[in-house]
Amino acid sequence: MATTASPIASERQNPLVRLAGLVPGILLLAAIGLAAKWIEQSINGYTKAHHITFPNIEYVLWAIVIGLVIGNLVKVPEIFRAGVDTYEFWLKTGIVLLGSRFLLGDILKLGGISLLLVFIEIGGSLLLMTALGRAFGLRPKLINLLAIGSSVCGVSAIIAAKGAIDADDEDASFAIAAILALGAISLVAFPFIGHAVHLSDHAYGVWAGLAVDNTAETAAAGALFSDTAGKIAVLTKTCRNALIGFVVLGYAIYWARKGQAEAIGNKASFLWKKFPKFVLGFLVISVAVSLQAFNADQVKSLANLSRWAFLLTFAGVGLRTNFRELSKQGLRPFAVGVMGEVLIAVLTLGLVVGANRVWAL
Amino acid sequence: MANEVDVKLAVRHGLRLSMDAWSVWVAVLLALLVRFGVLQHVSW
Repeated sequence: MATTASPIASERQNPLVRLAGLVPGILLLAAIGLAAKWIEQSINGYTKAHHITFPNIEYVLWAIVIGLVIGNLVKVPEIFRAGVDTYEFWLKTGIVLLGSRFLLGDILKLGGISLLLVFIEIGGSLLLMTALGRAFGLRPKLINLLAIGSSVCGVSAIIAAKGAIDADDEDASFAIAAILALGAISLVAFPFIGHAVHLSDHAYGVWAGLAVDNTAETAAAGALFSDTAGKIAVLTKTCRNALIGFVVLGYAIYWARKGQAEAIGNKASFLWKKFPKFVLGFLVISVAVSLQAFNADQVKSLANLSRWAFLLTFAGVGLRTNFRELSKQGLRPFAVGVMGEVLIAVLTLGLVVGANRVWAL
Repeated sequence: MANEVDVKLAVRHGLRLSMDAWSVWVAVLLALLVRFGVLQHVSW
């Protein structure tokens, strides 16, 4: 009982007290991020000085690994909890600032291709997850949540859909756990497969953006491959995120017609409420850079600020992934999730390889 | 277990929504600080 009361109580606290409560966790994220950068630089410095050929292991991987070790072997004290949860905030801040690394023309070109692939991916994923969920006899709303989570944008989409289709608490928890577990697996699997099939930075970035569900894991899976792949992955994922409202609205109308969810009154207001605002921020910064509101040095500073924000995010991804908690969830939803995600990964890889031949991504 | 997880999720959902808007304002503020020279030569 005490565990459920504390977060609600913290919601009612004075804003300044809440803000101060975030500091320890943010400092922990920063410490992990800086340690990761230091390890990467130290290894690079040592191998260069001693003329040793050694693959560059990016700070991204170190940040996630340190976070995973701390999060799974040591119980992170409660005082750090609230601040660690801000990794989502740093992710979105980083995405908005990442707009500085794209000129509007690039966004229109890459975003246009990505959007086309995103439509195919969303349609395919929804059909696939629904078919698998039915074959395994899962509850209809759990099937919908898994389908929404795997087709659009992970945890945020599931939470947005949960209220709209009036799904059970238990179903939402199962679906979120499955998506988070699969996100953790994709951090290892995607860069490995990307290198194995010799994808270019751009092609890999589009693939990670299409197939990895949770935005934080998408950014990390992209950055683990290369810096360029990371930014393309985020752009592609942002296209998916932008469609969250439409997919959730479709399901909400379906369940409302069946009398199992509240009817949607104003559809435009519903779409605006569900629309991720950071997508607009990303576009605003990109437009400002395209209109040369910033000089070259300032653009570099914005890009570096974005990297710092992502560094905190990657530390949070590791800290947040708790294997013990994930393993407590049901086996069948997880099995459907795994099968669906593997098929979606294969389908999107085929799409990307095909698009690469046509548009030379 | 599921209820406990979900109360936390609901709270986090509230935080997520506010974080979504806050992240845009903070990023725009940082961009303005860079634009007007308060933050200069941010290195990586």
